[in-house]
Amino acid sequence: MSATTDARLEGRILDYLKSRLPAGRDFALADVKRIAVGWSHETWLFDLNYREDGRDVTLGLCLRRDPGNTLLRHLSSLEEQYRVLKCLESTPLATPKVYWYEDDTAILDQPFLVMEKVPGTCPSPWGRDGRAFYQAAADRGSLPASFTSTLATLHTLDWRAAGLDFLGVPAKGRDFALREIAKWRELIALSEHPPEPILTDLIAWLEANAPESEQVVLVHGAYRTGNLLIHDDRISAVLDWELQVLGDPMYDVAYVLSDLNREGTPLLSNLVDRDAFFRDYEAQTGFTIDEQRCRYYNALYAMRSVAFWMSASGLYASGRSDDIRLARTAWSVPVVLERAATELGY
Amino acid sequence: MNPDQLLERIATTLKRDIGPAVEGEYPKTQAFMAAVVLQKLGRQLGLEAVHRAAEEADMHALLDELRADAEHAPLPARVAAALAALAGTHDTQALCDFINALYAERAALGDARFDALLGRVRRTLRASIDRRMVYAA
Repeated sequence: MSATTDARLEGRILDYLKSRLPAGRDFALADVKRIAVGWSHETWLFDLNYREDGRDVTLGLCLRRDPGNTLLRHLSSLEEQYRVLKCLESTPLATPKVYWYEDDTAILDQPFLVMEKVPGTCPSPWGRDGRAFYQAAADRGSLPASFTSTLATLHTLDWRAAGLDFLGVPAKGRDFALREIAKWRELIALSEHPPEPILTDLIAWLEANAPESEQVVLVHGAYRTGNLLIHDDRISAVLDWELQVLGDPMYDVAYVLSDLNREGTPLLSNLVDRDAFFRDYEAQTGFTIDEQRCRYYNALYAMRSVAFWMSASGLYASGRSDDIRLARTAWSVPVVLERAATELGY
Repeated sequence: MNPDQLLERIATTLKRDIGPAVEGEYPKTQAFMAAVVLQKLGRQLGLEAVHRAAEEADMHALLDELRADAEHAPLPARVAAALAALAGTHDTQALCDFINALYAERAALGDARFDALLGRVRRTLRASIDRRMVYAA
């Protein structure tokens, strides 16, 4: 998107915000930053300055817009993100306050939501600076404790009271795992990728070995550094509500324990000592970490990753996106299939 | 110049000359990513003939062993039909169907025979994915 287009869009954003705050006047946007392009929803951060009742007001805002061709578009809409965040406002979990969702494309061409810009930073764990940031935080100890306690808060909040049962409540037993398999199988089918025998083996194995799970909690689906906002050495908000589901807490725990998010360090998610995580998570939730179930969910994550990359490369192949990063993901498919083969023991 | 060498050279130009000259974070990333795609495609094309021959040889070896097993003791009808289809087409969809047939008939096969047959298929799959990893990783 060009600078001119961005400037035009900023004017339309301002017009929209004026319409939402009829008691205000002298509106202006400041410090506008566009922070994501292409992969997921488009995101703008800015301050809205205006006057109301004779005083100056500054509102830090984050606007997320659906570009119309996102990776998980049909699985996690902005409307669902809005509903989830709205429900979470009544819980102890740190999340951004969400203000408005609009599906009227006359306003900004695509559906969008507006939420609070929470103070904090979100260093990428993949780069050198991010690794150094998390290593220093690990040495201090506060952030790792906050990482674990925030996950415990997520897994013990009353999702039913919060109104999150619209996400779909799995039955006790094997239902949760089978629902996840069905969801990712659907995305794989939509990608129209050629058949992959390792994937066939993986899915058949997952279906044959789906574990029983007793607890049903709110699962984030991608709980790791990089999806958590940090302020004053603690988690100030849990972000990226695109993969949430009601289900087995071990699904999130498996993601935390995974080698994928460690960047070669022995620390979970680049940050947390494994023994401390086990001790604190179990004490704060009352759940016992089941490593065998976590290993199963690691294999399920391999299927999910294959689905992501098939979907991403399919978006490019079909001409729905011109983002060359998506073309690159065609070679991520065999990489994840190799990992799946290893998970299955061959 | 072979197609793979051509792509490698264009990738180098993109990475060394064009990418650094592009202004704007997004188009610059696109230029570098285009270089990565061309490099991977080049490597894949360069290995294609050798890999195709290896895939075909592995498929023949797999079919020989599966047929030998079937002669030793009859397979459940669905597995036998999937094996016949695989022998006829040698394609990946037929291999997927054979794997699904094994899982579906696991009880009829018994655990030991299921493990042996799936283990043999997995040996072929491992060799195939190792070949793809040469250019994908």
